[in-house]
Amino acid sequence: MDKKFDAIVIGAGNGGLTAATRMALAGKKTLLVEKHNLPGGFATSFVRGRFEFEASLHELCGIGPITGRGALKDSFDLLGVSDKIEWVSLDEAFRVITLNDEENIDYAMPIGKEKFIAKAEEYCPGARESCELLFSFAQQISDGVDFISALKSFGFDTIKDVYNEHMNFINVAGYTVNQVFEALDIPKPVRDIFGAYWCYLGVNLDELNFVHYFTMLQSYLVDGAVIPKNRSHGISCALLERFEELGGEAWFNSMVKKIIVKDGKACGVVLDDGTTVEADYIISDVSPYNVLTKLIDKKDIPDFQIQDLNAKKLAVKGYAVFLGLNRSMEELGLKNHTYFIYDSADTVKVAEGSKKRDKCALQASVCLNAGIPDCSPEGTSILYMTSVFTGEEAWGDVTPSNYVKEKRRYAEIMIDDFEKATGVNLRDHIEEIEIAAPMTYARYTDAPNGTIYGFDASGTNTIVHRLMTMGMGEKVQNLAFCGGYTQQCIGFSPSYQTGVMAAEQTLKKMDKEAAEK
Amino acid sequence: MKNKIIPITSKGKDFVNTVKMIPDRLVDVKKSSKEQAMNPELFNVNRVAAALHPKEQKLVIRKIVEHSADVKSYYLTWTGGQALAYFRAGQYLSFPIKIGDSVVTRAYSLASSPAKALVGEYHIMIKRVPDGFASGYILDNWKVGDKITAYAPEGCFTYEPLRDAPTVIGVAGGSGITPFLSMARAIDDGSEDFNLTLLYGAKTKDELVFKDELDAIAERNEKVKVVYVLSEGKSRGFERGFIGADLIKKYAPEDGKYSIFACGPEGMYKFLGQEIPKLGLERKFVRMEMFGVSKSAVLSDAIKEGEFKMTVVYRGDKTEYVCNGKETILTALERAAVKVAVRCRSGECGFCRSKLVSGTVYIPESIDRRRMADAQFGYIHPCCTYPTSDIEIKID
Repeated sequence: MDKKFDAIVIGAGNGGLTAATRMALAGKKTLLVEKHNLPGGFATSFVRGRFEFEASLHELCGIGPITGRGALKDSFDLLGVSDKIEWVSLDEAFRVITLNDEENIDYAMPIGKEKFIAKAEEYCPGARESCELLFSFAQQISDGVDFISALKSFGFDTIKDVYNEHMNFINVAGYTVNQVFEALDIPKPVRDIFGAYWCYLGVNLDELNFVHYFTMLQSYLVDGAVIPKNRSHGISCALLERFEELGGEAWFNSMVKKIIVKDGKACGVVLDDGTTVEADYIISDVSPYNVLTKLIDKKDIPDFQIQDLNAKKLAVKGYAVFLGLNRSMEELGLKNHTYFIYDSADTVKVAEGSKKRDKCALQASVCLNAGIPDCSPEGTSILYMTSVFTGEEAWGDVTPSNYVKEKRRYAEIMIDDFEKATGVNLRDHIEEIEIAAPMTYARYTDAPNGTIYGFDASGTNTIVHRLMTMGMGEKVQNLAFCGGYTQQCIGFSPSYQTGVMAAEQTLKKMDKEAAEK
Repeated sequence: MKNKIIPITSKGKDFVNTVKMIPDRLVDVKKSSKEQAMNPELFNVNRVAAALHPKEQKLVIRKIVEHSADVKSYYLTWTGGQALAYFRAGQYLSFPIKIGDSVVTRAYSLASSPAKALVGEYHIMIKRVPDGFASGYILDNWKVGDKITAYAPEGCFTYEPLRDAPTVIGVAGGSGITPFLSMARAIDDGSEDFNLTLLYGAKTKDELVFKDELDAIAERNEKVKVVYVLSEGKSRGFERGFIGADLIKKYAPEDGKYSIFACGPEGMYKFLGQEIPKLGLERKFVRMEMFGVSKSAVLSDAIKEGEFKMTVVYRGDKTEYVCNGKETILTALERAAVKVAVRCRSGECGFCRSKLVSGTVYIPESIDRRRMADAQFGYIHPCCTYPTSDIEIKID
C-alpha cells in the first residue's frame, strides 16, 4: 500500500466534490481521485474563440433566492463555499413552444408563484383555480420532503408518521403526474404549462412520479432558480478549493481501475498507474453501474446488489449544441432564457419520438445572455441547445468515421427547429460551434451508453421507490454512492445533496465504529 | 391548519398504493439476473468514444521521406491490432518525446486524410526550427522502425459547414501547408466536403513540398485550387510576394463568401494581421492555427529575467526545481522531466491546466484562454505562463 486515508472519494463530479468536502470538514483525511484533469464531471465549461460555454447547467434549484428556502444553499453554507460563488437569479421560468400545426402552444412563463398563476390565467382564462390547487400540492409535497429529511428515514417503519402529518403527500406518492392531473381534473392548457419541465427529468408524464416532479416545480417556480456567474465550473472550482483548504488531497488525471474489497468491505483502490491507496471507507461518485460491472469483482458483490442494479434501466442519453453567435440577443431577436421546444405537448409521443435521430422531438435551449447579459463579449451571444435520446439503441449504429457528420446532421435539425419555433436567424451568425453527442459524455465521464440522467426514474425505480428501499438488502460494506444515479435521481442540486448525505452516513458509521472500539 | 385531504383514487387505496411500492420494488429486484450487467466499455457509444479519443497510441515509423535536409515526412502506422484514431482534417497529433533528461511534448498537424487513419496510416511533416529543441532531435534521430507514442488527435482548426463559408481560402506558409494538405486530400477522397483555394507561400520553388500531389488533386477535383506564392525570385505561373489582402481578393469567390484559414510562421501572422482587416470580413470568417507561444512574448516588460525556485506538488509530495523568467513554466517542467499532461502548447487545449499554489506569473493576454473560474481560483496554463517570482505549482 502506497498511502492510507480515512476515506477515498472516487470521482470529482458534483456529488464527489461535496462528499469529499463534507468529509474534510469533519476532519477526516480524505483523498479525492478523478480521472479527468478538471473537477465537476458534467459541471464544467469550455472556451472556444472568444466564448466560454456552460457545458451542462440550465438553471439551479435549491438556492432559493425568492423564499430563502434552499436545501442546497444550507449545504453550501455548511461546507463553507457560499461566499466563493456568485449567483444570478432568474426571473423567467421558461418559454414552451410546440412545433405541430394543431397545438400552437407558445407560453412564456415567469418564476414566482403569483406571477406564474397570473400569466397562466392570461393565457387560459379560468386557469387560476387549478393552478392554485397544483401549487398547494407542490407546497405540501415539499413540506413532506422536509419532514422526511428531518426523520432521515422513509420506509415501512416511518410511513405512518409521515401519513399522520402529511396525508396528501402519502396519498399522491404512488401516482404519476398524469394520474394526478386526471384525478384532479386539471384542464389541458394548465397541464401543458405545468408539464413543460418534464424533459429535465427525461421521463414522460405517464411514467414520471408526481412527487418527484412537483418537488422540482416547487423549487424552481416558488423558491426560485439561479445560475452561477462563472458557469458551473465556478461551483466545481469553489468546492475543490474549499476541500483543499480543509486539508483534503485531490489527485486528477488519476483513474481508479479497481476497488479493493476484503471480507465484504471496500478498503482501497488501485489506480491505472498501479498505485494502491488504502482507506477505511470509500464514497463513489462513479456510477453504481460502472462500479458494479467494472471496478469490483463479481465474487465480492452480494447477489442483491447485482440484482438491484439489473432491475434498473439506464436513463436518457445526452446531446448538446453550443453556439457562439456574432450578434447580441437583442439584434437576433432572442428574448428568453429557457426555451422548451417540443414536437407535441403529448409527452409520451415526444419520448417515443426521441428514440431515433431522424428528427428532434424535444429541445431545451438556453440563451445565457438572458440570465447574464455580459456572459459573452459585447455584440455577441451564447445559445446552447440540448436534447435527449430515450432509446437504448440511438447512436448504436454510429462509427468513428461518420460520427462528426451524424452529430452535425442532428445539430442542423435542432437549429432548424429553433429557427422555426422562434423566427430567429441563427445560421448566419454562428461564429463558434461545438457539438456534444452521447459519445462526448462517455468520453469525459465514462457514462455508460452516454447516459446523462443516471437510472431511469420510472417503473419501480421512481424517486419514491428509491427512498423507501434505500437501506434494504445486502451490499458491499463501507462503500457509499453519491451523484445522479442514486436515491435523489438526476439533477445538479440533487447530486450535490447526495454527496453531503453519503458523507454524513459514512461519518456516522465511522463514529459508531470508533465507539465500538 | 391541516390541508384538505384530496384523494386521488380513494383514501384507503391511495395509502396502500404508496405502501406497496416497497414490495413492488423488491419483487422486481428478486426477478432480476444475478449476472453482472455489460461492461460499460462495450456499448457502441463508449466504444466509439474510446476509438476517437484513445489515451495514447503506440505507433511505428513505417517510412521517412526527405524533402530536404531540414524537412522530412514521417509515415506512421499502428504497432499491431490497434486502429488509429479517426480525426478531422486540420487536427494535430502530440508526441511525448524523451530527449536527454527532458521529456517534451510537441504537436504536429496531420497531413494525411482522415480516411487513411482507418487503414492505419498517419502522415506528419516536420521542419527544422532554428534553435528548435524537438524538431532537430526528431529529424536527426527518428528512424524507420522506431516505436513512438502519440496522443489522440486534437484541435479546432477544422472546417465546419455550420460556421464557415462554403469556400475556404487557405493561407499556408512553409510547413504550415500540412493541415491544408490533409484538407485537400480529404476533399479529394470524399471525407470532407468544401471548396479549398490554397494560397501556398514559400521563399523559393524548391521549398514547396507536395506540389505534384497538390497539382494533381487540383487537376482532378474542382473543389480544390492551388496558387503558389514565392517571396523570392520570379517564376512563370507563380505569384510573387507575400500573401496579403490583394492576393486573397484576387482568388476569392466573387460573391465574397469565404473563410480564411491561416497556418504558418509568426511573421506570416504578423503580416496577415495588418492585411486581413482590409478585407472587411466578419471575425467568424477568419481562423488562425497557433503552434507554441509567440517568441516576442519574452520581450514584454512584464517578463522578469533570472532564475526562480519552482516547487512542484504531485500527489501531496513536493519537489524543488529551477525555472527561468524568460521561459514558460511548461519548459521548466519539461526540462525537469516532470510528467505533465500537454497537447497544444499554445494556451488553447487546457490539458496542462494546473493550480498555481503561490508566486506570481505573467500570462500574455492574447493567449490567455483560461476559463473565468480558473483565473478566479488561481489556475494557469503553464504552456503560456512565465514565472515572475519563486512559484509553487500543483501538477496532476
